[in-house]
Amino acid sequence: MINVQGVSKRFGALLAVDDISFEVGQSEILGLLGPNGAGKTTTIRMLSTLIAPTSGKIIIDQKDAHKNNYHIRSITGLLTETPGMYENISAQANLAYFSSFYDIEPEKRERNIEKFLRMFGLWERRDEQVATYSKGMKQKLALARALVHEPKILFLDEPTSGLDPESSRMVRDFLISLKEEKTTVILCTHNLTEASTLSDKVCILKKKIIKIAEMDKLKDYKEIKQAEVVLLENSHRYLALINRIEGVIESKAQGNRIKLSIENPHITNPNILLRLIEAGARIIYFNEVSESLEDIYLDLVRDEKDE
Amino acid sequence: MNNALKIFKKEAREVLRNKNIWLPTLAVSLIFSIVMPLAIMMFADIGDEQAREFVTNIFGEGANIPVAMIEFMLRQFIVFLLLIPAMVPSLIAPASIIMEKDSRTLEPLLATPIKTSELLLGKTLTSLIPSFAISTLNFIILSININIIAYVRVGILPLPNIEWLVAAFILSPAISFIITILSIIFSSKTTDVRAAQGIGSTIIFPIYLIIGLQVAGLFLINYLYLFIGCIVIIGVCPLLLRIAVRTFDRENILTRWKMK
Repeated sequence: MINVQGVSKRFGALLAVDDISFEVGQSEILGLLGPNGAGKTTTIRMLSTLIAPTSGKIIIDQKDAHKNNYHIRSITGLLTETPGMYENISAQANLAYFSSFYDIEPEKRERNIEKFLRMFGLWERRDEQVATYSKGMKQKLALARALVHEPKILFLDEPTSGLDPESSRMVRDFLISLKEEKTTVILCTHNLTEASTLSDKVCILKKKIIKIAEMDKLKDYKEIKQAEVVLLENSHRYLALINRIEGVIESKAQGNRIKLSIENPHITNPNILLRLIEAGARIIYFNEVSESLEDIYLDLVRDEKDE
Repeated sequence: MNNALKIFKKEAREVLRNKNIWLPTLAVSLIFSIVMPLAIMMFADIGDEQAREFVTNIFGEGANIPVAMIEFMLRQFIVFLLLIPAMVPSLIAPASIIMEKDSRTLEPLLATPIKTSELLLGKTLTSLIPSFAISTLNFIILSININIIAYVRVGILPLPNIEWLVAAFILSPAISFIITILSIIFSSKTTDVRAAQGIGSTIIFPIYLIIGLQVAGLFLINYLYLFIGCIVIIGVCPLLLRIAVRTFDRENILTRWKMK
């Protein structure tokens, strides 16, 4: 659906995006992560044909995005970083105005306006000026605007920013449900829990791509894994034994727990279990400690800084 | 074109709601097309010796003094009335652009399948159509007023004449267009609507200068000057339009325009 090939963007002397390439398939959600100034918004703007790449090519819906920008904008929806609504007209008038630029039947447009205003809990206040809305309500309205023309591709910049937990959950559930409609989503966010919940694939950007991988594969990117053993008794007396096992890089005892950094878990872990049982340890749990997206992200961004 | 009309329709409603735009317009219209001409034409002393001498200096010895005085006043009013097509867009165009910046609606608007030329045209129409409508209405009201007074006082119906028609239907829209385009260009560089409107007001300074020179008797607008004015103003239009189109480039708006 989206194919980005060696795209760079330069603003005068500033290189905002450096030679990025990635693909996003139909009904996939790509989480675009990165620190402030990493080029996420610039990337979204290039994908939504608001600005042109300095070099490289973007293919969307099998078409060169910048040669077919009118078509691309008609099949995409954009949620910008700030809601950007006309404050002195009503929510309904805002949606009617923005959606009037898309080629959809008036009856369908009206139905969709009502559907999304109801979905985001704004229908009862549809005739009020947007100026009277809270930040969260404006954010929901901006989301409704991005969706009202039923785009094939959605570019979302911080979609749950300013929303209460209940609304955030509703938006996340809705985005997951978009997969059934075969909608492709590119999600720009600083909320890493949200990114890991929603994304099929994650792209960590810092001007250039630091890492791009499917969520489940991203967790395997490190050779050293973490594990934890919980014993019935104090764990300190097994520490020396564990440290002698090949493949154990580091171990730390804490009460009845031992935290382990290990290589080749498929060989090392059975050995650990065997030795502990032989030594008479009474094991309650032996768990893999999977790293959160936040840990992975911070590691990758930090490594990039060190380089 | 259809998209430009959608922009125009939405913004026209906003202009009507914005007292900061229509109150000064209404006040200036009332003053220039009703109060001032009525006061001058009703109370001017045609028989006054100084006035006769002044008019003779301008129109020559053989001139019919009452008719020449009416003629002189008409030429003053033409310039006064050119202030309206200059003033209205200098109020509307910056408000329309700064409002988009204030509410940060430009990016989502540009993300829709709208062409930047349609956006520029929509904004231009928002400023030009009310300006043309108000100016034309003022020309009509003023023409009626002047004809009534001139008929009562000296028995002539001086309007409409060629100068008046050229001013109303060529010069006035051309001035509106130039002020609109200049206001749009300047508005891209500021986030303050008053600053942008202030710039618009300074653009109309040459019109004040002409008024001053006319009142002092140093200059009097005539066919030739109107013709030269039209050529210059219409000649400048394509150049300004090219600058505005460049200013209104999608990428320019998002990356170079000064946003709040």
